[in-house]
Amino acid sequence: MTNLKLGITLAGVVGLGSMAPAIAADDTRIALIPGGPHPYFAAWADAGADAARDFGLAGAEYEVPQKWELATQNQLAESLLSQGYNGFLIFPGDPVGAVSTAEELTGYDAQVIAGGGCYKDPSPAAFCLGTDTGNSAYLGTKELLAAMPDGEKRIAHFTGFLVDPNTQLRIDAVNRAAEEEGATVVQTIADIDAPEPAEEKINAYLAAHAEEVDGIITTAWVPAVVATKALAKMGGDRIHMVGIDHDEVVLEAIRDGSIDGTMLQNPYGQGYIGAYAIDKLRSGCVVKADAPFASNALTDRFIDSGTAYVDRDSVDGYLDAMRAETDRILADFDETYLDCS
Amino acid sequence: MSRTRFFLSNEFGLVLLIAVFAAIFGLAATGFLSPFNLFTLGRNAAVNIMIGLSMMSVIVTGGLNLAIGAMGVSAAMFAGWLIEGVGVPWPLALAGGLACGAGLGFINGATVVRSGLHSFIITLATMSIFFGVMIFLTRAESYRDLPAVFSDFGRMKFAGYVSPLLLVTLATALVLAWLYRRTVTGREMLAAGAQPGAAELSGIRVGRMVILCHMLSGVLAAMAALMLVARNGAAIPSMAGQLGQDWLLLAFLGPVLGGTLLQGGKVSVLGTVLGAFLVTMLQSGLLMLQIGAFWVQTFLGLMLLIAVLLDKARRAYLARRNLA
Repeated sequence: MTNLKLGITLAGVVGLGSMAPAIAADDTRIALIPGGPHPYFAAWADAGADAARDFGLAGAEYEVPQKWELATQNQLAESLLSQGYNGFLIFPGDPVGAVSTAEELTGYDAQVIAGGGCYKDPSPAAFCLGTDTGNSAYLGTKELLAAMPDGEKRIAHFTGFLVDPNTQLRIDAVNRAAEEEGATVVQTIADIDAPEPAEEKINAYLAAHAEEVDGIITTAWVPAVVATKALAKMGGDRIHMVGIDHDEVVLEAIRDGSIDGTMLQNPYGQGYIGAYAIDKLRSGCVVKADAPFASNALTDRFIDSGTAYVDRDSVDGYLDAMRAETDRILADFDETYLDCS
Repeated sequence: MSRTRFFLSNEFGLVLLIAVFAAIFGLAATGFLSPFNLFTLGRNAAVNIMIGLSMMSVIVTGGLNLAIGAMGVSAAMFAGWLIEGVGVPWPLALAGGLACGAGLGFINGATVVRSGLHSFIITLATMSIFFGVMIFLTRAESYRDLPAVFSDFGRMKFAGYVSPLLLVTLATALVLAWLYRRTVTGREMLAAGAQPGAAELSGIRVGRMVILCHMLSGVLAAMAALMLVARNGAAIPSMAGQLGQDWLLLAFLGPVLGGTLLQGGKVSVLGTVLGAFLVTMLQSGLLMLQIGAFWVQTFLGLMLLIAVLLDKARRAYLARRNLA
């Protein structure tokens, strides 16, 4: 038993020793943590790797919680802090519930930026880097309505999880754009940003009501893919559609004319710019007190990571469009948002 | 003979496993024994142990409680509503949350006793009912403007790495151990679980004991959920996953690893505490060893299966040696 105690004590000393330099490290080691597994965030893996190479970081790894659950995300973040990560780009599992963990991370001198979604103010995150989801949904709806022929315009809206604060913003924006153009939103189906509910609800809706719909706007990744496949199965070109994001199914459907276009978001830019900013903050820069942040429903420190409409003419250059958005934001990022004097 | 039984006990095996894994993780996983990780390990263990104790208190009767997560989250949301919606002071709201847990447990217990159906069926149904009603009433909205005392308590550290949540859990476990070992009510609960017919004949009101056990389970589930509220600083409907199912594996692992008989009548509070702590430590250690997060759940499922099989082998061995 004495030996056991000695062993554990020695192990403790080793562990404590390894923790100390991790907290006080000079090297920037960043974890990019989504809320859970989702294809939208896959671009963060490349963005982290590119940022680590381009900015000479000790590491910038994409770490995925095994499921969409705040407790799982919290445990992962805590574990990564203990392993020596000192910068975190996080899609908060809950805008308020995740703040507590962010405070703990910053309490150990780690830098935290919200990516893809925001913490609710007040939070210790330096800022939130994400899509202006309401604007993206608004512009996408306008593009859809412009692509539809004159006459009565009846559209269906398929969107994401109701627990995602962005979803209500998207619903409001689609309704506003439709109202401005004299169109009617005949159906909004939410809470379907996963394959099973999306397949079930979209296919059932179109099977029963396709004749009552002239256009489809989707504002979440999985519904965009499922609706695109459904339109391909149905055939014909009466129903127009504008999707969201850059799944290959959606891009291919734009190329072959099955759907009109998609609203790109910029997850790559979120990861790349987020890693850059974290490294800068760790190097002594601070966020400018008068930085021209935008506001959304959750925070007054919001930076729009960019959105762009891609149609048949521009679909093959979509990667360039994303990188161009990233370069545009990064070009004057330091002067606009940081004080490094 | 008693020494053989001690070395074959679940508790001894768990202490040994905890020591072995602590040494392995301490040496192999960077930062595992750092104060911050020890703090988070204790805090997570506090919730997991409480969840295990909640399930244990129903397993005592030979029953199951699949609604633990739904009950816990409903109770926490009720406490959140009392604070934000009604303006009740937080200590009273906490008491209200615990009372809500007890009330939901009463519904489970009374339905089991009245219907004569197995608690598996009843709690499978009430899991959906409780969770559905909670989602309907709250519209899946979190209660986020809770007093700072909640998150302060969740982040508080004693001696740099001990979470007060762990102390609350250990105190609760001591009370439960006292209940089962030293009180008439506790012994009647065990007797009602071991041989309901014989217990009834000896004057124990078995139905009443079953209801009490379910109420106790509800209170403990509410405590676990309120700890999560302290951890997150908010009462969140999804804190135990869809229908509260994310708690189920954890709820079974603690008692089963700890040696609580699924048939009822025998309980090991210490074993449940150690079993749940081992599970939490494995989760933490595996994450820190960068073993894919997706494998952790697989590993825990395997552990549950192996624990049941080992326990069966152990009891067969004890029976052969006339030690049981």
